[in-house]
Amino acid sequence: MSQIADPTVVPLRDPTILDRATGAALALGRFLRNKPLGGSGLILVVLFIVVAVLASVIQRHDPDQIFETPNPDYKANPSTLELARNPDVGSPVLVSQFEEPGGGHWFGTDKFGRDIWSQVIHGSRLSLIVGLGASVIAVVGGLIIGMISAYYAGIVDLLIQRIVDMLQAIPFLVLVLVFTQITERSVLNVVLWLGVAGLAITTRLIRSAVLQVRESEFVLAAQVVGASDLRIMIRHVLPNCVAVLIIAFSIGIGAYILAEASISFLGAGPQGIPSWGQMVQAGRGSLDLHPWQTVFAGGAIMMIVLGFNLLGDALRDVLDPRLRGA
Amino acid sequence: MQAYIIRRILGAVFVVFLVGTFSFFAIRVLPGDFATASLGLDAGSASADNIEQRRADLGLDDPIEKQYANWLWDTVRLDLGKSFLTQNTVWYEIGRSLPYSIELGILIMIVGFTVAIPVGLISAIFQDKALDYSLRGLAILALAAPVFWTAAIASLVVLQWDLFLIDVIGQPHLWEDPGKAITWYLIPMFAGGFAGTATTMRLLRSQMLEVLRQDYVRTARAKGLRESVVIMRHALRNALLPVLTVMGVTIATIVGSQVILENMFNIPGIGNKVLTALFARDNPVFQSVVLIIAVFTVFTNLVVDILYGVIDPRIRLS
Repeated sequence: MSQIADPTVVPLRDPTILDRATGAALALGRFLRNKPLGGSGLILVVLFIVVAVLASVIQRHDPDQIFETPNPDYKANPSTLELARNPDVGSPVLVSQFEEPGGGHWFGTDKFGRDIWSQVIHGSRLSLIVGLGASVIAVVGGLIIGMISAYYAGIVDLLIQRIVDMLQAIPFLVLVLVFTQITERSVLNVVLWLGVAGLAITTRLIRSAVLQVRESEFVLAAQVVGASDLRIMIRHVLPNCVAVLIIAFSIGIGAYILAEASISFLGAGPQGIPSWGQMVQAGRGSLDLHPWQTVFAGGAIMMIVLGFNLLGDALRDVLDPRLRGA
Repeated sequence: MQAYIIRRILGAVFVVFLVGTFSFFAIRVLPGDFATASLGLDAGSASADNIEQRRADLGLDDPIEKQYANWLWDTVRLDLGKSFLTQNTVWYEIGRSLPYSIELGILIMIVGFTVAIPVGLISAIFQDKALDYSLRGLAILALAAPVFWTAAIASLVVLQWDLFLIDVIGQPHLWEDPGKAITWYLIPMFAGGFAGTATTMRLLRSQMLEVLRQDYVRTARAKGLRESVVIMRHALRNALLPVLTVMGVTIATIVGSQVILENMFNIPGIGNKVLTALFARDNPVFQSVVLIIAVFTVFTNLVVDILYGVIDPRIRLS
């Protein structure tokens, strides 16, 4: 009798009433409440994305601008003796290198008199592009290879698994260094190769997820009905692997950012773009007296990786409780 | 069980073969070879003829399939050839550099485990207390900090307060001059150790939490055993097993960070060797060092897996 709902009574928690945006906002609120660490990770990540997008606004100075101060000892026509005592005496201005952090330059200046704050701000772009881009490539590639490997078991699977083993037997850094040297070291190429180097891990993760789903009864049912392999993979297996895909995507980002920083530190990173790893290396030349470039650039790497790691951990806990703490 | 072990060993050998093949082709796919890379070293004598001559001497102008067959046959006979760069045999180069890497690797592991095990244990015992949160926070920071930055900051601290001299020229072994060697290894071993600690600590903590909920722990407590005995004898033993199974991964991570640390502190280990060989296109050294690292990681994993299979029959039957 009471089967027909009274239209005037709106159930308080009926999800159909909420539009998508409100639903997403509520889910986000729940995430922030239940996962304070993941929430702070999310805030860090959003902060870095804002900084990267608005780098030209926040920078205060052009990162390539060389700052100069008037030379107090300047003489218009110095004698040879004066020049021998002080080689700078003939130039009216001096490069203001190694300024301490302060009001003029928040993070100080580097060896070439450039503003470290603006360099650090601009460095966020490369790290974000590398982290997100490489992770997308690794997950998409890993999805295709992992699905093929899991679905067509047998010799194909065996061969793919041994290749994955091979890639994991070589230190990740060495693998990345080899790959990135094959082509010109543009940002795009470095992102691509980092993703390729990460394929081993994502393939393994996704393959085991697909193997699990493949055993389920709804896949068997689909096979009985006569669905094609492709249809089963896309309509039945894929949607059930989404959680693993998100996990694989989010936990890799920090590792790719660290790998890019490492190869840049070794002088083999992408060229023509400010990089935090390269700045840590540049600052090491005068570390004992002027440590600021190294300190701030490295600190930035740590903060962005921290953000992505915290977010990834929390997402993993929420999406797949079985993997908690793994 | 025997069939399982044989199958796993064959698989491991195949993986090592794949790594060798990969590194053989990888170093040759890279633009330039030793003849052109060494051009910068003595630019005066370099002419087109010279380069061709050098290539012929090194066997770099042979067709690739011939080079591959030669490499395969030599490697099977354990003849790794001579370094292009130093003219020494690769075995000599490895024999000289491997002890440094093993020393540093062991020191890193010692630091890593002596920090990770008590910290993971304390964190689990004081679950959700302030101590647990601060230790976990530190672990998360250690995981996020690039190892070269931690090492740079540590050397900054040492330099600022003149704590000790970092000797990067003497290159003493631990058994030759322990005092000098330990100051040289101190920063890299702690930087590498902390980076490796975080994962182990987090894994141990979660395993401990799992184990502490088990019935046999409750039984042990109900028997009236002291809490320290319950934790050390009953819980920790069982929680350590999964930590040991990821040893292979831990070692791979340590080897990775050693490449950078050896480069930073001028330690002439194999991590440094692999970088020099890669940039100088010193094919024989690069191939062999990558192969040796791979043999090491693959067989560590193999031993761990077999031991695990001995303990847990479900694994060897799958």
